[in-house]
Amino acid sequence: MSFRIRIPSIWRAKRFLYRLEGYRCSRCGEFHTHSRYVCRRCRSRELTLERLPTRVRLVDYTVVHQATRNNEDNLPFIVGLVETPDGVKILGQITDCEPEDLAPGMELETTFRRIGVDGDANIIVYGYKFRPEIH
Amino acid sequence: MPRHVDSGIVGYGCYIPRYRIKASEIARVWGRDKAELPIKEKAVAAMDEDTITMSAEAARYAIWRAGIEPRQIGAIHIGTESKPYAVKPSGTIVAEILGIPPTTTSADLEFACKAGTEALHIVSSLVGSGRIKYGLAIGADTAQGRPNDALEFTAASGAAALLVGPPSSNNVANIEHSFSFVTDTPDFWRRSYERYPVHTGRFTGEPAYFYHTLSSARNILMENGYSVSDIDYFVFHQPNVKFPLTAAKVLGIPMSKVEPAIVAGEIGNTYAACSLIGLSKVLDIASPGQRILLTSYGSGAGSDSFILSVADGIVERRDKAPRYEQLLRRRVEIDYAIYLKNRDKVRV
Ligand SMILES: [Zn+2]
Repeated sequence: MSFRIRIPSIWRAKRFLYRLEGYRCSRCGEFHTHSRYVCRRCRSRELTLERLPTRVRLVDYTVVHQATRNNEDNLPFIVGLVETPDGVKILGQITDCEPEDLAPGMELETTFRRIGVDGDANIIVYGYKFRPEIH
Repeated sequence: MPRHVDSGIVGYGCYIPRYRIKASEIARVWGRDKAELPIKEKAVAAMDEDTITMSAEAARYAIWRAGIEPRQIGAIHIGTESKPYAVKPSGTIVAEILGIPPTTTSADLEFACKAGTEALHIVSSLVGSGRIKYGLAIGADTAQGRPNDALEFTAASGAAALLVGPPSSNNVANIEHSFSFVTDTPDFWRRSYERYPVHTGRFTGEPAYFYHTLSSARNILMENGYSVSDIDYFVFHQPNVKFPLTAAKVLGIPMSKVEPAIVAGEIGNTYAACSLIGLSKVLDIASPGQRILLTSYGSGAGSDSFILSVADGIVERRDKAPRYEQLLRRRVEIDYAIYLKNRDKVRV
C-alpha cells in the first residue's frame, strides 16, 4: 500500500485497516471502506456497518521492488487484488508466501500485520494483509 | 488455594511464525560445539510481525474455538517482555483488531516468561468474581538474545491465547485449582535502555527454574490431595528441552505424560507464550475427563500452576482453528543473515 503515513488519517481508517469493516449500501450493495453519509454509487443514505469475510479469492497480484517511504527494509513485497464471495474487490499486501506460491483464483485468508513505521513519530502502523490458508 | 468452580477455558489458540533458524546455524556462525545444542531450531517472527500481531492471531483462534462474539469479551491482558512500544499498551490495539468493545479492562503484564500465566490468574479471577463473562489471557513474545550469547540459541517468537469464561461441561477445560510461588531471585534481567537481557549462567538452573517450578507443582498437587498419577499431562515452561524433562524426573512423572507438551525442541523458548503453547499442543490431543497440570516459570523469579480438567467441549471445538501441528508445518528455514535482518539486529 503506497499511502503516506499520517497519524490522523491512519487513526480514522483503523476500522477498515484493523477489521476490514466498512459501510455497505443497503439499496445497491456498494461497499465503502471509509465512513460516508451517502452511497457513492446510488446516493442512498442507508449505509450499514459490515465486516468483510476472512476468506477471499485472489484476482491478481504484482511484486513490488520499489520501496515506499519507511518500508525500505521489507523488499520485495507482494500486492494483490482480492475479491470477497459477494464481489467486493480490495487491494492489500500478501504475506507469508513467495510470489511463486500464488496463482489467480486461489483462496487467501485475512491476517493482521505491521504495514509500516512512521519515520519521525516512529508510530507503528498495523493493518490487514492476506496470506495462503493454513492447512 | 480453594478449589475453583467458577471459570473455565472456552477457547484456546497458539501462533507460531513460519520462519525457523537451526541452532546448528547459530553455532556455525559463532564457532560453538554443535553436539551440545539446547534445541533443534527456533521460530523467528517475520519483519511484519511482532507481539501485537501474533497476539491477535492466537486470540482470533481462541475466539473461533469459543464460538462467541468479540463484543462479549470484557478483559484482555497480554503478558510479554517484548512489547512493540515501551509506552503504549498492546492490549488496546489487539482489542480493536478483534472487535472487542471499549468497555474492557486491559493491561500489559510483565514477569519474564511467566507473564502469560499471570494474565490467566487475573482474567480467571475477573470471570470467577462475576465482573465479566469472558476475558482473554495472552502470552506473546519476540524474544531477543544478544548475538553469541547462550540465550540466542533459544530465544524465539510465538503467542498463545486462552479465552476464559464461565464453567461448563461444554468448555474446552475447566480450571480446578491455581497456585503461585514467587521470590526475589536475580537469575535474569534487563535494565531500561539496554537492548538485550543479562543472565547469570549456571545460576539459572537450580535456585531459579527448578526451585520455583518444583515448589509450585508440588504444592498445587499436595494442597489439593493429588498425586502424579491423578494427572494425565504435565506442561512445564521450557527454556530448553532438558529442564522440563529433568523437572519431570525429579517429580517422578513418567516421560509419556510430559513429552506431549514439549515444544522447545522445534520452536525454541517463546518466553511468555512458551508454557501456553505447550498447553495448546496438549489440548489438541487431550480427551474429556483428563487432567492437566500447567506450571510456568518466569525469571526474577516465580512459577504459576493451574490444574485443568478437560471438558466435553474439547471434541467439537479443537478443529475450529489451526492446531499446533498445522502451524508447525508451514516451516521456512532461514540462515543467520536473514535472521539478523528479520529481528532488527542489524544496526549501524
Ligand atoms: Zn448504493
